[in-house]
Amino acid sequence: MFESLERGWRVAATGIAFTTFGLGGLALRLLYFPLLSLCVRERGRRTRLARLAVHHSFRLFIEWMRVLGILRYRIEGVEKLARPGLLILANHPTLIDVVFLVSLVPNADCVVKASLATNPFTRGPIEATGYLCNDSGPGLVQDCIESVKAGNNLIIFPEGTRTPIRGPMTLQRGAANIAVRGPCNITPVTIRCEPLGLTKGTPWWKVPPSRMNFTIVVRDDIDVAPLVDEAGGEALAARHLTARLHDFFSRETRRHAGA
Amino acid sequence: MTKTQLFENLSQLLQETFDIEPGRITPEARLRDDLDIDSIDAVDLLVKLKPVTGKRLPPEVFKSVRTIQDVVDALHGLLDESVAA
Repeated sequence: MFESLERGWRVAATGIAFTTFGLGGLALRLLYFPLLSLCVRERGRRTRLARLAVHHSFRLFIEWMRVLGILRYRIEGVEKLARPGLLILANHPTLIDVVFLVSLVPNADCVVKASLATNPFTRGPIEATGYLCNDSGPGLVQDCIESVKAGNNLIIFPEGTRTPIRGPMTLQRGAANIAVRGPCNITPVTIRCEPLGLTKGTPWWKVPPSRMNFTIVVRDDIDVAPLVDEAGGEALAARHLTARLHDFFSRETRRHAGA
Repeated sequence: MTKTQLFENLSQLLQETFDIEPGRITPEARLRDDLDIDSIDAVDLLVKLKPVTGKRLPPEVFKSVRTIQDVVDALHGLLDESVAA
């Protein structure tokens, strides 16, 4: 009885959270960002302030979800993210992974799905923050490298989309190409969610049997220079690095499944 | 340059750049599905093909090709054009 009530509440709470998220995005677009463009002339500064606003909004949103009883979380090694110019790569089990990561990184840049740039609730923040869009093909690798070199902390999910619930994890080679061609060292972050919720292909109202527990661990940097030297060619180095990242992140997911 | 020579050059390049076994490189092999060449690799390949063909290839070439034979045909067409010009 109590369990089904609790679960019912989490369905409602998730609805409330999604609504809040949409309204927050709309408010930023209609109120805060127009104000920002009025008051701040310099574009670089405006972008920084817009990203900071998204960072704080996401922090608030995570706390809101915690208060609503949708999730709990534990974060390790967050101090490693307090450096500029990082290439942050993470596995991607849930819809809100990017919300967590941006809530931990004040100067985050990220690659967003092109469709979000036309969605009325997400369009405003995406335009104001100058986040990279994923529809620009190979030019995107160069844009990503420039972003990291400019001191942003670029967040990428090498899988390109959320991990399928069944079947193996697959990685695109874009992230490894950024690392190899930058060259930029990698700061890996592993995300575990238990019980798993907000996965790809699951409607938001199908909440897991109990509250989601997120464990987010910032790992030690991966030095890419030796890999590039060894491979003798960027294309091959990107392939080797992708394989290595695949092993690393799959190991984490398996541990996740077994835990 | 004949189509056979172009194929040989391309095959060599694919082996060196992406470590693809020569046995897998056939005219019918599809770049993306069979040889795992993505759009980033395609740009690399265009750069490396330049000294072979002596011509700068437009990136659009790779948008319309699917198989190795398509690439050979496209290259051949381009070289023909430059001879005619």
